[in-house]
Amino acid sequence: MANSNLPRRIIKETQRLLSEPAPGISASPSEDNMRYFNVMILGPSQSPYEGGVFKLELFLPEEYPMAAPKVRFLTKIYHPNIDKLGRICLDILKDKWSPALQIRTVLLSIQALLSAPNPDDPLSENIAKHWKSNEAEAVETAKEWTRLYASGA
Amino acid sequence: MGNKVTDELVSTVRSIIGFDYSDMDIIRALHMANNDVTAAINIVFDTPSFRTKDKSQVLRNPEVSNRNSNSETQSKDTKSRPNGNETKNLSLGSGSSSNPRTRTRTVSNNDVEAIKDLSKCSSSIGGEWWFVGCVEVSGLSTCKGRRLKCGDEVNFTFPLKNASSTPSPGKFGGGRGRQAAAFSEIVRFSTKECGEIGRIPNEWSRCLLPLVRDKKVRIEGCCKSAPDTLGIMDTIVLSVSVHINSSMFCKNHHTSLKATSNSTDESVVHPLPTLFRLLGLTPYKKAEFTPGDLYTRKRPLNSEDSSGVHSSLLHGNKFKNPTLNGSKVENEESISDGDLENIVGVGDSFELEEMEPPSTLQCELRSYQKQALHWMIHLEKGQGMDEAATTLHPCWEAIVLQTSMWMFIMWRELVVYLNSFSGDATMEFPSTLQMARGGILADAMGLGKTIMTIALLLAHSERGGSSSSPSMNEAFTENSDTSDISDQSPTLPKKVAKFPGFDKLVKRKNLLIGGGNLIVCPMTLLGQWKAEIETHAQPGSLSLYVHYGQSRPKDAKILAQSDVVLTTYGVLSSEFSTENAEENGGLYSVRWFRVVLDEAHTIKSSKSQISMAAAALTADRRWCLTGTPIQNNLEDIYSLLRFLRVEPWGNWAWWNKLIQKPFEEGDERGLKLVQSILRPIMLRRTKFSTDREGRPILILPPADVQVIYCELTEAEKDFYEALFRRSKVKFDQFVEQGRVLHNYASILELLLRLRQCCDHPFLVMSRGDTQEFSDLNKLAKRFLKGGQEVVEGEANDVPSRAYIQEVVQELRKGEQGECPICLEAFEDAVLTPCAHRLCQECLLASWRTPTSSLCPVCRKSVSRQDLITVPTDSRFQIDVEKNWVESSKVAALLLELENLRSSGSKSIVFSQWTAFLDLLQIPLSRSKIPFVRLDGTLNLQQREKVIKQFSEESDILVLLMSLKAGGVGINLTSASNAFVLDPWWNPAVEEQAVMRIHRIGQTKSVMIKRFIVKGTVEERMEAVQARKQRLISGALTDQEVRTARIEELKMLFT
Repeated sequence: MANSNLPRRIIKETQRLLSEPAPGISASPSEDNMRYFNVMILGPSQSPYEGGVFKLELFLPEEYPMAAPKVRFLTKIYHPNIDKLGRICLDILKDKWSPALQIRTVLLSIQALLSAPNPDDPLSENIAKHWKSNEAEAVETAKEWTRLYASGA
Repeated sequence: MGNKVTDELVSTVRSIIGFDYSDMDIIRALHMANNDVTAAINIVFDTPSFRTKDKSQVLRNPEVSNRNSNSETQSKDTKSRPNGNETKNLSLGSGSSSNPRTRTRTVSNNDVEAIKDLSKCSSSIGGEWWFVGCVEVSGLSTCKGRRLKCGDEVNFTFPLKNASSTPSPGKFGGGRGRQAAAFSEIVRFSTKECGEIGRIPNEWSRCLLPLVRDKKVRIEGCCKSAPDTLGIMDTIVLSVSVHINSSMFCKNHHTSLKATSNSTDESVVHPLPTLFRLLGLTPYKKAEFTPGDLYTRKRPLNSEDSSGVHSSLLHGNKFKNPTLNGSKVENEESISDGDLENIVGVGDSFELEEMEPPSTLQCELRSYQKQALHWMIHLEKGQGMDEAATTLHPCWEAIVLQTSMWMFIMWRELVVYLNSFSGDATMEFPSTLQMARGGILADAMGLGKTIMTIALLLAHSERGGSSSSPSMNEAFTENSDTSDISDQSPTLPKKVAKFPGFDKLVKRKNLLIGGGNLIVCPMTLLGQWKAEIETHAQPGSLSLYVHYGQSRPKDAKILAQSDVVLTTYGVLSSEFSTENAEENGGLYSVRWFRVVLDEAHTIKSSKSQISMAAAALTADRRWCLTGTPIQNNLEDIYSLLRFLRVEPWGNWAWWNKLIQKPFEEGDERGLKLVQSILRPIMLRRTKFSTDREGRPILILPPADVQVIYCELTEAEKDFYEALFRRSKVKFDQFVEQGRVLHNYASILELLLRLRQCCDHPFLVMSRGDTQEFSDLNKLAKRFLKGGQEVVEGEANDVPSRAYIQEVVQELRKGEQGECPICLEAFEDAVLTPCAHRLCQECLLASWRTPTSSLCPVCRKSVSRQDLITVPTDSRFQIDVEKNWVESSKVAALLLELENLRSSGSKSIVFSQWTAFLDLLQIPLSRSKIPFVRLDGTLNLQQREKVIKQFSEESDILVLLMSLKAGGVGINLTSASNAFVLDPWWNPAVEEQAVMRIHRIGQTKSVMIKRFIVKGTVEERMEAVQARKQRLISGALTDQEVRTARIEELKMLFT
């Protein structure tokens, strides 16, 4: 109703996301604001996040696709590139955004980020330190958090 | 009368009642009782509020003591005329203890204790008990054989709260479950001696229950008459006196009352008003607008009476439209654009007076604009602030309670106010200040709502809260809506327990700084508002401040300084979200003189953040500007009314019950009601509105719309036919395979080529810059070679051979992919050196600088010169410049332009394809017709420059413009001719383009010519144009739509 002026591109993307969801990712628009998506990403296998279901929110700003979507983790996650507010340090969400990217690609990138944490470009200093000084322990913590906060239910 | 109360009498009374009562009490009582000692004692005891404790309580509550002082003078008046009021009061008072035997009985010690108990109980609640009336109630006996004497005291037992899970609104009929529910609301009475005697009537229990449970009301009773021996169902007449706790009128108690009285449905029966009615208290000042009125409207409407409804109600006063008879309104099921007029109506505005704008407005207003100014000023004025402050709000009624309460006054008239919609009660005077001051200016697009608003700003601007006594304003204008809003959202109707009452204990609004005008608009219109104010308001007459951007100050003082503050919905919304705290800054720390929402339909979804943010603003005057007050749903209006404070419609429950639901159920009364609400507060004219004499209000010079049908030349025809045949073969293949919709993009591409061919065959062949790559092999070579040319030696920057071969192969096969940016079939596709295909406009729009930037797909640096227009698999290659041939359409256009050249009349030439605009530059240059060009590749500054050049330089005759260049709101009235060279799927886009010359400010007659090539896809496109619009924008779901689309496509390929 409130979305009569939604650009064709967003409609198309949404339709495709719903009809051919990317594996391990679900994104569905909110009923009252088609620019707001509820996202779930399954923790990639062979990562500390395996078995976890992570909730995110994604919002397409007015300028989209000329500006990047805004994405945030809602589920607590122990990851050097994600801070405690769920904000994500990912270049394509910032200066490396390109209008040729899509919601799907963004979410796939985030999924990939879960598989490959990058403590050299941290958003969360403490976690990054932990990761660098004692990766095994950090991974354990990440697993623990996944169990605690992202175990579906 | 007027007997002197002697000390002797006082001490006599005192010797009986003890020292719990002050001398003053006793004197008053004696006075009332005409110095009859016995009567006076009874008065003291009968009236629970005659108690020493009251003194401190009175002092504790400043609000109430204020009242008290008023009434004291009142009571002095009474004293001077003892015969009048006092006697009347007494007669009412004696009703409370009509039985003389009761009186004597009350002077026993036991009863004093009983009263003390009561006083204990009352003090625990924190208010005072006011006796409000005594009536006879006919109870029903539930026992057999018991005895009840006249004058026997009875105790009432109220069922426990938890027993009443679903208070049934209804009768005892129905099934067992129903009965069980009904039991829970039975109020029984008993005597000490016999136990349960009987029960009181349902109507009493229902209104008493919630009130008693909340300790707002207390009742006492005694038997007045009863059969000697009771039998089941015998009538027992009780004398019941009702006391109301003062907290009822002071505190916000909605929640608890609601919780008990309506858990199942949105009840519109409120206990307190019902109780008052049962007590026989009638409002001395009735609410002008009550639920009853609305229900009367619900009676079958007299539909024959339809004539003249609109004119008679045009100026319907406030909300008072006693009869709403039905003129038939069609198409109620859904609200399409066309239905908007049906719902909101188009005002016969000629009835309105005109008002001259102030001299500070530096432009002429048209007559209908002056009417709007008058109308707006009139609505803002209301009855004038002073009068408004003393006029009762139409939703409230005033009731005089003849009550004994303060120890200082014996009987006083206590005025309480009841909201007939929410059931709220208060002692504060609910004035019309709470009502909407403002309205909805809903004139259609292009009538100049902005300029009318600027005239209003200039005509009357002050600072918020300045024009009336601050205390009044502070108490009344704002209410606690904001906190309630979340509960009122349409999806949560069950939760609507709280009603936005006029809560007096709101945040302390008097801390707000008085500010000027706040204009909220979409971000894109910010600049336009600023420019319009600057050009139309005399310099110095309005100080202007734009509240926007990251570094905007949060200091209210800065905001309050300016006469006009401009801001966006985004800013408003963000300041609202951070507003939770009491000490918020920004827009919410100012009490605005006036708030104007431009494009007010932005707030239409009532539960959106922005809608709540707008409703939460503090302002004396409120306006909505919108050309489309309803966009999708009737509900859109609700948000506007909430913002405007049009009571009681800012209350979702009422809105839903009386308007939304009836409307959705197809009951036209919902619609009628909306119309009656809107009529006085909304002004809507369209371009077709007429004035008194029946002339259109806005006289634009006539517009002559013609279609020029061009004939293709023989050569063009051959080419077109060939292309068409080839396309049709492909299309038929798709049809045969049943894969029309799967190859939708390819089909659109086929159509695109055909359409372009109608403009000029060159468009389909190739253009100058692609010539050297027209051979795809050459193109491939160029890519590979281009890689080697990269000096920086970034070898990996070169697209791989395999990739290029793939791309070239795709191109060769004519495979139609989609643009990675708009996700549509390519339009004017270009290839980057990195071999990525994109629409030219999409690519350039993604660039920050017009000449070079990064490839959106691979982020390699690309300059504009490197772009290659994608060649088609056409066999034709021509150097367009050298081999220039005019197409029949171009020839027709040139003929038109030549004819206009001598008159100096300016023209705009529209096409969808920038490539065609490129081509058109050739003949225009050759014919030496000076032109400028505006397309999507220009940035804002360049655009403005082009528009300025075209408007101001008289020798520039032609503006070449791409339809995609959009930019609604561009004013190009210096041109008086428009040529639309190719039909667009969506006729509205064409119309919008044409609107840029046919609008206010146009002085010359306007000529619009559309070019259609006969016997081609263009002609058939016209036929399906309207349907096409749905085809293009429709979703791929509905089977019917699919079939329709295939049919339409087939039509195009015939």
